[in-house]
Amino acid sequence: MSDDREATRRAFLKGGAVLAAPLAMTMPATAIAADDRIARLQRLEDEVAIRALHQDWLRRVNSRDADRARLSATARAGGCLDGALCGVTSAPDVQGDRVEIAADGKRAVGRFRCVIETESRIAPDSTLAQMALAQGGGVIRAQAVRLVRADYVKAGDRWAIADIALHEA
Amino acid sequence: MHRYAFTSLSDGQISAALSKVAATGPASVSPLSDALAGQTIRIVTDKDGPALVYRFTGNGRLTLSENGGKAIEAGYGALVQDHLTLFTHLMPGTLRGYGVVIDNATGIATVIEMWFGGYQDKREVMRAIYAGYVEQAGKPPPDARHIATNRFEGKGFYWKQDTGYETLDYYPSVAYSHFVELTGRGDEPGFCGPSDYLQISEDFYIVTRTECEFSGTFTLYLVDLNRQEQIGLRLGFDRTDALEYYLFRGKGEWLGQIAQFEKLGDTSGGALPDPENGGKGARRVYRPLTTMPKMSKAEVAAAVARNSRVFAPRTGAGSGAAGMATHGTPPIDRLAGKRFTIRYDGGPVMDYQVESADRLRWRKDGGAWVDARYNAWEPMPGVFLFGHLLEDAPDHDGHSIVADFDNGLVTCFNGFLNTPFIANEAGARTLFGVIEGAGIPNPGALRHERTRDMLGRAITWNYAPNLSSMHLYSTPTTVSWIIFTDSGAGGMEWSGPGDFVKIRDGLYFLYWLEEACNGTLGTIVLNMRTMHDAGIGYHCGTEGLSMSQVGAHARHAGLFDVQRFFPTKKG
Repeated sequence: MSDDREATRRAFLKGGAVLAAPLAMTMPATAIAADDRIARLQRLEDEVAIRALHQDWLRRVNSRDADRARLSATARAGGCLDGALCGVTSAPDVQGDRVEIAADGKRAVGRFRCVIETESRIAPDSTLAQMALAQGGGVIRAQAVRLVRADYVKAGDRWAIADIALHEA
Repeated sequence: MHRYAFTSLSDGQISAALSKVAATGPASVSPLSDALAGQTIRIVTDKDGPALVYRFTGNGRLTLSENGGKAIEAGYGALVQDHLTLFTHLMPGTLRGYGVVIDNATGIATVIEMWFGGYQDKREVMRAIYAGYVEQAGKPPPDARHIATNRFEGKGFYWKQDTGYETLDYYPSVAYSHFVELTGRGDEPGFCGPSDYLQISEDFYIVTRTECEFSGTFTLYLVDLNRQEQIGLRLGFDRTDALEYYLFRGKGEWLGQIAQFEKLGDTSGGALPDPENGGKGARRVYRPLTTMPKMSKAEVAAAVARNSRVFAPRTGAGSGAAGMATHGTPPIDRLAGKRFTIRYDGGPVMDYQVESADRLRWRKDGGAWVDARYNAWEPMPGVFLFGHLLEDAPDHDGHSIVADFDNGLVTCFNGFLNTPFIANEAGARTLFGVIEGAGIPNPGALRHERTRDMLGRAITWNYAPNLSSMHLYSTPTTVSWIIFTDSGAGGMEWSGPGDFVKIRDGLYFLYWLEEACNGTLGTIVLNMRTMHDAGIGYHCGTEGLSMSQVGAHARHAGLFDVQRFFPTKKG
């Protein structure tokens, strides 16, 4: 069974070769076709870079690495998630994941289905809850599928997170 | 003990008392062992623990060099149980001492440093536990250690020391224990204290208990499970501020084993994380009397006038949580339209006109009718639990009532405030009576009765996700509650007065009173067939007076065999 869910450089080149064949028979367009291939290759490389950036962000969120802010273009983007969030993993069904790169190649939007884990402390409004908190517990953990929507900007040859937020899946 | 005002002792008072026994060593009713006499041993402990060089010179005397320092002289005492030696001594001129357990078969040792220097009051004995071994020339150190464990969790023992002191000791937690003193009046409730549990082997364990919030006394003992024997030491000041420092032997009776709720295969101890930035020996200790808000009678009156809430969502520290009703069943409307009278024996006559699912009218002893909000549940067909406040009652009473309309019987837990101790701490009285009304049978002289059916049982309660506890009905008048950790281990524990009434076969009405601990009165009807409850909480704090739903899923965790320790009083 093949797995064609993810656009890879190899998949692009394979597709590019198919497209390239008829173009090669109409020689006057050679230069145009070459430019197009370069542009499409660049977009694919951008998409791969953005997906890698997303994976890096997931890893840092899950390791509670405060340094994840370094992946962001602004401080706000680095700290915009709910403080209760303690884990984000890719949802088992990632077919809906999309990366759309703007025509200028400087901005992009990523939409990724994820499973988020949240932690929140129970309110200390009963003896039982107060005791649970006093013993270092009283933490409610929950999981839910959410859509992570991230806006990306390209500065030089590096992509960064401009904004990131969770939405209902 | 919750009501006893233990004296705050100064360094000087403690030091003066210790100086008398530091040179002689601990008292003991049983003969002390001289097995250590003439020996010199070096105990090495892990991490930040001390290195201790002991020379036992005979006649109950030793010298000790700590971490290569100057040797001091002290009196000591030792007891031996099978291949284990327990010895203890104080450090003259200090508020410190040691209890040391040596496994003579393996050379593994556990050192327990003890010192007076408690949380706020120096009379509370602190402890630090160091794992280690006795250095033996030409032999490599043993790899194993006595380790914190949950393998003692769920056990219960009756103990009788050679001093005559008798207790029931319940161990439903990996961090606390619950003890009932049988010596004395014999009707004392049970109390709780933080405990340590270390496994030596399948047969032998080290157990400690500190009577925090009370006398501060520290007890350390080795338990020989199969022989049902113990050897131990006790250090602290009693209610009369007399120093207790003695070794003891005890004989026990195994009371049973209740369920544990950790994942199968998990035998770890130390389930409570150490407090952040804690010093030597720091651990998490529940200090409810210290932390609960204490209000005067005038403050209670003002709070009640400002905000009384009946079955409304509530917030605020100590007010009881909506979370404690998450697994409750919804209130029902089947009382709506009923007219009936409740006659309590030796208590009020209450007339009721139930107007709707949440409104009723009541009058007491033929007085004026009062509108009130109520909620009701039907935990077994024909048996209703309902509750309401008695507005304008001088002690702000609340009634939690179980009415069996099929049998004409009723029991009320009457909560009230303005107790002699802390005004916002609830008190409770139990009222038995009959219901009169159309179609309700006359029970004659029959009444609901107090029961021992729950005595010794442990029931878990899951109120909401991540909000679970276990009740332990440890005496005929005590409910202890244990809070589970995330791993399912028993954690912090406290206890208070309780009462237990049988409503029908498999249906019980009981209360627990959070005495010296937030002051909440919890009342529940427990259906042992559905393993569910219907309950009502009654609480007053700075946020006002509240009556609220309690409901949880139950599991039967087991039964301790303790009936024989509480003979039914005749006459």
